[in-house]
Amino acid sequence: MKKKLSVKNLVVSFRTPAGKVQAVRNISFDLHEGETLAVVGESGSGKSVTSKAILGILAGNSIIEGGSIVYDGMDLLKITEDEFYRIRGDKIAMIFQDPLSSLNPIMRIGNQLTEAMLLKGEARQKSCKDAFNSTLALLGDEMVAVENNPALKEMCANFDKFEFKHIELESAYNTAKESAVEVVDEIEDVLFYIEKNAFKDPKYTLEEIARLAAATVNEYVVTGADADKIKALSAELKKNASADVRKKDYTESVRILKEIQEIIKPVLEKEMPDFFSMGYFLTFSGQKLPQMPVSELNEYLLNYLNEHFMNEFKSHVVKALENSAKRHMELKAEAVKVVEANRAVLESDNMDKKACDAAIDTMVKAVEASIDKLEIRKDGVAYTFASTIKAAVNTYFEGIPKNAKAAKLHDKQQKKYDKLVAKGKTPTWKVTPSTAVDLDVAKATITAAIDRLLEHYEELLAGGNARDFLAETDELILFFKENASGSVHKVTKEMAKHRAIKLMEEVGISDARTRYRQYPFEFSGGMRQRIVIAIALAADPDILICDEPTTALDVTIQAQILELINKLKKDRNLSIIFITHDLGVVANMADRIAVMYAGKIVETGTSEDVFYSPAHPYTWALLSAMPDLETEERLEAIPGTPPNMIYPPVGDAFADRNKYAMQIDFEMQPPEFKISDTHSASTWLLHPDAPKVEIPQIIQNRIARMKAKGGASNE
Amino acid sequence: MNNGETLLSVEHLCQYFGRNKAVDDVSFEVKKGEVFGLVGESGCGKTTTGRSIIKLYDITSGNIFYKGERIAAGTLSYKEEIKAAKEAYKEAKKNGTDKAKLAEIKADTDARIAKAKEEMKAAMKDHKKHRTVTDIQMIFQDPIASLDPRMTVGQIIAEGLVINGEKDKKVIDEKVYEALEMVGLVREHAGRYPHEFSGGQRQRIGVARAVVMNPEIIIADEPVSALDVSIQAQVINLLDDLRHKMGLTVMFIAHDLSVVKYFSDRIGVMYFGKLVELADADELFEHPMHPYTKSLLSAIPVPDPQFEKKRQRITYVPLKEHDYSVDLPSLREVTPGHFVYCNDAEYEKYRAQVAE
Repeated sequence: MKKKLSVKNLVVSFRTPAGKVQAVRNISFDLHEGETLAVVGESGSGKSVTSKAILGILAGNSIIEGGSIVYDGMDLLKITEDEFYRIRGDKIAMIFQDPLSSLNPIMRIGNQLTEAMLLKGEARQKSCKDAFNSTLALLGDEMVAVENNPALKEMCANFDKFEFKHIELESAYNTAKESAVEVVDEIEDVLFYIEKNAFKDPKYTLEEIARLAAATVNEYVVTGADADKIKALSAELKKNASADVRKKDYTESVRILKEIQEIIKPVLEKEMPDFFSMGYFLTFSGQKLPQMPVSELNEYLLNYLNEHFMNEFKSHVVKALENSAKRHMELKAEAVKVVEANRAVLESDNMDKKACDAAIDTMVKAVEASIDKLEIRKDGVAYTFASTIKAAVNTYFEGIPKNAKAAKLHDKQQKKYDKLVAKGKTPTWKVTPSTAVDLDVAKATITAAIDRLLEHYEELLAGGNARDFLAETDELILFFKENASGSVHKVTKEMAKHRAIKLMEEVGISDARTRYRQYPFEFSGGMRQRIVIAIALAADPDILICDEPTTALDVTIQAQILELINKLKKDRNLSIIFITHDLGVVANMADRIAVMYAGKIVETGTSEDVFYSPAHPYTWALLSAMPDLETEERLEAIPGTPPNMIYPPVGDAFADRNKYAMQIDFEMQPPEFKISDTHSASTWLLHPDAPKVEIPQIIQNRIARMKAKGGASNE
Repeated sequence: MNNGETLLSVEHLCQYFGRNKAVDDVSFEVKKGEVFGLVGESGCGKTTTGRSIIKLYDITSGNIFYKGERIAAGTLSYKEEIKAAKEAYKEAKKNGTDKAKLAEIKADTDARIAKAKEEMKAAMKDHKKHRTVTDIQMIFQDPIASLDPRMTVGQIIAEGLVINGEKDKKVIDEKVYEALEMVGLVREHAGRYPHEFSGGQRQRIGVARAVVMNPEIIIADEPVSALDVSIQAQVINLLDDLRHKMGLTVMFIAHDLSVVKYFSDRIGVMYFGKLVELADADELFEHPMHPYTKSLLSAIPVPDPQFEKKRQRITYVPLKEHDYSVDLPSLREVTPGHFVYCNDAEYEKYRAQVAE
């Protein structure tokens, strides 16, 4: 599976008047494409801080002390705010916990929902176009260079040409097909409501159906005589709507609706033509499309495309990719040399700012030249090298004056403090620490960044990462297809509104059309939460972070929204980080689970691992603190409260509340013990020398019950 | 423990806010020593029911009896009766009934109006006599918003005692300390302010404030939904201990069905201001009858990944389920102790289901 997001050694603290609160202490995890990672823990365990770090919206008093969050070849901890604009909300969206403070009070709900869709639609069109054009140009140059044949450039241009024909055909088809699906749905609903005498907002609904029905006319959806009929029916429905609504008698409308339904329903079964091949055929063959059933047509077109263009084009692309990879391998070897030569400057005991900047410049240039831009899977380490090293060096040099200032303040306060103590008083405040930035840590970060790059490159040079160029060619063509379709996909105001209303209905807001024009204060808490969810989903993100999205909602709506998120995940291959403390919800959503406590991940595994064979005492405690429908025995509450993270415990943070704690738990932090390939936990109980401890009875009972049921469904 | 004595009885309770019928004709009884759970989605009127019982609102219509004595009453039903009587007379007059008969109807109408007025007067007298009922105490949902930030914990807990005329400082202190210790806090906490406590501890203070009055009934309005799982268990265990120690009766309002099931003896399910089903906890979960209850139960998240992946949620669309155009529904007892809101046809259907 493709890695979408990779968090490594993240450390985040908050500066507070009472001292530095260590909220996240060295956590690492990966998020793969199309999976849901649930992060479970109590409030204050650092779950939300982690998610906010990913989105770059940490509070002002936060200090990111180390680590990296790599997404799409960027280190999210190091990029600038401008670069973040392109990611936040569009690529990574978040459903916030608090619906009160995440909506704009003076904007109508509708505007808030469509705002992002419209803006991002435009931006995406542009960025897709750029990506398509620049990559194709690069590929063309490479192809020409490899085989020394300028004619190949033209081949690329041809590809560009018919790709756009393909998109044009396909987007027209998609609009029509989507309209058809919707019309059938809507008509069913309307007929039901008319029958039950509970038809709301009839005029708008009927006109909307008329509009949608007219939109289904397309060469491959509703064709020929049917098309004319639909057009006539649609016009009739629209004309008739007002009269029917006035009379409150819908017999005429029902007749028309039924007729429309009859025509459109069979259309939904039709197979989709292969527009990619068709695009080529129509652009270059100069012939008319042969008349045959869609499945045969698809085969014919595909053969035609492969014969006349694709096979040849692919062979050239493979060559180009191979050559580009080879060339960049040499550049990588070069880069390693440059970095090795320059690293001494950055690691000397008395670093000089100017020399350092110069060294970094040379290094970055060499590394950037060595990045193979034709490789679609971005190499995170290389791409983030520049920002990481620059940020690390900046931290170091900015730290020096900061430390001097802090030391001054510290001396002054210490004197005052000592005076008070001498007088026999106990001051209620604490002295600020003498250092603001730990320079040793900053230096270590620089070394680590260089080491990581070198290690990675040496591995690549040693052939550690064999590439399959044929597969990569297919991926590249897919990349072109996607970007081409992105660049012609325009979001109009009307579409945005339609989608917004649909989304509102999907998240369970009744009477969405009236609600669309209301302000946030007119909504209840649960309703606002749903709006927030709809806004996050409207942007069609790549990664969705859900921070306790359903905690404030009741079970039916919660189930509805979780189903919606799961459906979107499947449809759009979304990756989700799901933060919650409700284990029932986790069981529903998660593919993998990370249990967090006091800023650390204490246990991680697939959801089966964590629910059926939990290993960490904290996971046990969480599981046994929650009643399920069959629990009869007394709940086992976790005694006490989480530790104060200004003074994090020396040993295992959970030791104080843990009845299985051993002496070593108070003295040393446990390392991560691997239980299986997917499952690991940080507790000394897993050490070979530790005494054998059974899982608490209440959980054993529950697991036995679950196994007995064998996951039977509730029907 | 459940000796069947009725402690609290709610009859035809209606609470309207303008046109919004938050609670509409709800009737139930709470027996001594039991835990009565009330569930439903947000906005269905569970909290309003609880607040009406402790007289935070003047109820619109219906009666609430505590230990057989009427503590709250609404006037709408009497007003409607008067209106209906007047209307009947007008109707008769318009239809041109002969004079002798009309006089008869007039006398009858006057009697009806007089009777309704008298009953209304009695109801208002009862309603005003009991301004508050100290035997019924409430624990509020939000432990942060329900504690005055400018009062010490001791003052917060003692407030009820002071209002009820307790003047001896020593007695007050003693009672406050006792209450604090009962909920698992220590005496020293009395001098601190609410913001110095964690969420779970704050909810404990809320509990202490309720138990210091030595109540018979505690209405716990979502006492754990704002808390973390681990703290939730602490508070639930605390309520359970207190209930046994003090012989409390608890009305437990929540939307987390697992918690309600775990804690309650009997459960009432509310939907849009109506009580749609009422039964023993086990009975309700094993044999739900009303389609809304079924839909609610099918949505409960269970900490079992395999089960969750196969879960089938049942949706509830009132229009599809019921036809109330002619045959009007009411709350009926289908099997002993199991009430369902249904009409004649549905009643027969449910009976048939039970017989199977």
